[in-house]
Amino acid sequence: MNAIPICCFTRATPNAIIFHILQFLIELHLEVDSIKMDEEPERAKRWEGGYERTWEILKEDESGSLKATVEEILFQAKRKRVFESHGQVRLGMMRHLYVVIDTSRTMEDQDLKPNRLTSTLKLVEYFVEEYFDQNPISQVGIITTKNKRAEKLTDLAGNPKKHIDALKKAKDSTCGGEPSLYNSLSLAMQTLKHMPGHSSREVLIIFSSLTTCDPANIYELVKTLKALKIRVSVIGLSAEVRVCTVLTRETGGSYHVILDESHFRELLMFHVKPPPATSSSECSLIRMGFPQHTIASISDQDAKPSFSQAHLDSTSGGPGLSMGGYFCPQCQAKYTELPVECKVCGLTLVSAPHLARSFHHLFPLEAFQESPLLLHHTERFCEACQGELKDKSVFTCPSCNSVFCVECDLFIHDTLHCCPSCIHSRSAP
Amino acid sequence: MSAEDEVSLLVIVVDVNPIWWGQQANREPQFTLSKCLDAVMVMGNSHLVMTRTNKLAIIASHCQESHFLYPCKLWKFGDGHGDENASTSGDGKYELLSVANDFIAEEIKNLMSRTEVKGNQTDTLLAGSLAKALCCILSIKMLTGQEMKSRILVVKAAEDCALQYMNFMNVIFAAQKQSILIDACVLDSDSGLLQQACDITGGLYLKIPQKIALAQYLLWVFLPDSDQRSQLVLPPPVHVDYRAACFCHRNLIEIGYVCSVCLSIFCNFSPICTTCETAFKIPLPQVVKSKKKKLKPST
Repeated sequence: MNAIPICCFTRATPNAIIFHILQFLIELHLEVDSIKMDEEPERAKRWEGGYERTWEILKEDESGSLKATVEEILFQAKRKRVFESHGQVRLGMMRHLYVVIDTSRTMEDQDLKPNRLTSTLKLVEYFVEEYFDQNPISQVGIITTKNKRAEKLTDLAGNPKKHIDALKKAKDSTCGGEPSLYNSLSLAMQTLKHMPGHSSREVLIIFSSLTTCDPANIYELVKTLKALKIRVSVIGLSAEVRVCTVLTRETGGSYHVILDESHFRELLMFHVKPPPATSSSECSLIRMGFPQHTIASISDQDAKPSFSQAHLDSTSGGPGLSMGGYFCPQCQAKYTELPVECKVCGLTLVSAPHLARSFHHLFPLEAFQESPLLLHHTERFCEACQGELKDKSVFTCPSCNSVFCVECDLFIHDTLHCCPSCIHSRSAP
Repeated sequence: MSAEDEVSLLVIVVDVNPIWWGQQANREPQFTLSKCLDAVMVMGNSHLVMTRTNKLAIIASHCQESHFLYPCKLWKFGDGHGDENASTSGDGKYELLSVANDFIAEEIKNLMSRTEVKGNQTDTLLAGSLAKALCCILSIKMLTGQEMKSRILVVKAAEDCALQYMNFMNVIFAAQKQSILIDACVLDSDSGLLQQACDITGGLYLKIPQKIALAQYLLWVFLPDSDQRSQLVLPPPVHVDYRAACFCHRNLIEIGYVCSVCLSIFCNFSPICTTCETAFKIPLPQVVKSKKKKLKPST
């Protein structure tokens, strides 16, 4: 391994040093491998002998309730997902995702409070915020389907505000008719097929009805989607539907049916993380601009207020004039927020922290080992928060053997993405 | 007007890098580590007496570890009654403050005397201290269960360590997600990492012109919490340079090429990414087939 040239650090700016170190670290750790999309065999049905004595998995507790078993199964599934994601796998960082929301008659059902539509819209709002937090250079669009038609609620865009406003307005819309999987997928496909090859094209369908009304053979469409490398995943709100099973299996997505609202939220959060890139996705160099933020004050003689390009189309009111902003390095068009795609010259504008937000996907933190508290009688305090260890089980980091309590473990893996004790050692992350 | 039961937690992270402070003692004998800690204790005491429900924690950031100077592990935060050996202060000071001050002084003496600095570990482990501060804030939030506003104040002495960049950025994004402000009071050289931290989380960054007046700056700028700051005229925000540096020459660039796999940045197009060694697909121009002209048979 090359030694880092220390002499160059003294005068270079922080960002310069930083990126050189990052390059060194990536060389140390990144083994690029891509996942092959396996053909999953179709799960055998009951009459084919696929399920045998399924009642034995479920165990009742003293009061006769199955809640503990169901929670245990869910917890195991969550832990499995955490373990699964820690391989050296190439991820699709730049994502173009369409969320298709079913607004048919079945969404008025009140099994999710207050009704399915309101609950879904609230969760999709939360999903959009988390999505842009974890994937700052990606884009999202929203499509709704009802009355056998599909319509675009918002176009593919990298700014969360627009989507959240549209979702808030959609709460008042009525539900009716039947959804159309074919129409919504072909609408999504029309835009996604023009997206560049290096980005991952995805569709997430939130499907509550048990029927779909299609103008043509949907299996042909599935073949087309597969050829265009569009990955479709479905979250079902009612029950498993065979056409969704085939759709997700052929295109390489996942299909789950929710149990309740918290499970729904978890399944949505599962889609926030970048998926493994397919072996056929292209790797390319993307041209991006890094504009400087200019803060001009009124006392500056040359400073003139100007309109932001992004506000020219907006109807939200307000003067839109501002003194400072980000100027595109190629065409000098002004924008107030990043990341954005320049409307004039088409250059993607980002800032360095946006790219830094995605780095923790490249260096995922290992899952900590769970062990009962009784084994650790020497340590009484959690290393991170200095609180007493009171829970039944504690978590140990495999590299530095420090002990953490349950809340710190959750916080470290969900938000912090680095072990507080490992940072204190000299080894590279 | 803050609600009566709103808890405000201040975590002060003090950089106690022994090498920098040792050199500082030679450069300016009137401002040493003990003076700095006096100023920090004044700030901590002032925060505790602003409102009864305020809480405080102080972390010392050393080259090898981050140690909680206050509160002690054996107490519950803020409402510790101390152990039996705690002396009541003779000068009528509020007991909580005198116990806290004595404890901090004791702990810092122990910390500095017991840790030995090994050869190559000369950088302050600031990212680690901030990570511990965040976990600590979270656990107090779980304990009290009330509305809590928290902020972290970093008193930085030594220079930045570039190796900690990624951990630092992770910590900054985690703080932003939890709505925790990071303020920075820099004694010596400007720190790009802390400037970014303050900009992203919404805190204040200040490089002090005169180190001896540290206590004054801390009380003037960093004591008011975020609600009150809008009504004060505070030092203007620093212009942060968010341009990226290319991996090949380490120049700051305005337009660059980003590898879609490992997100490394280059200033010029190259067919192979040097960090993850993926070959890029170069978009070739379309080849136009020339139309074959049919030769007319000559008559």
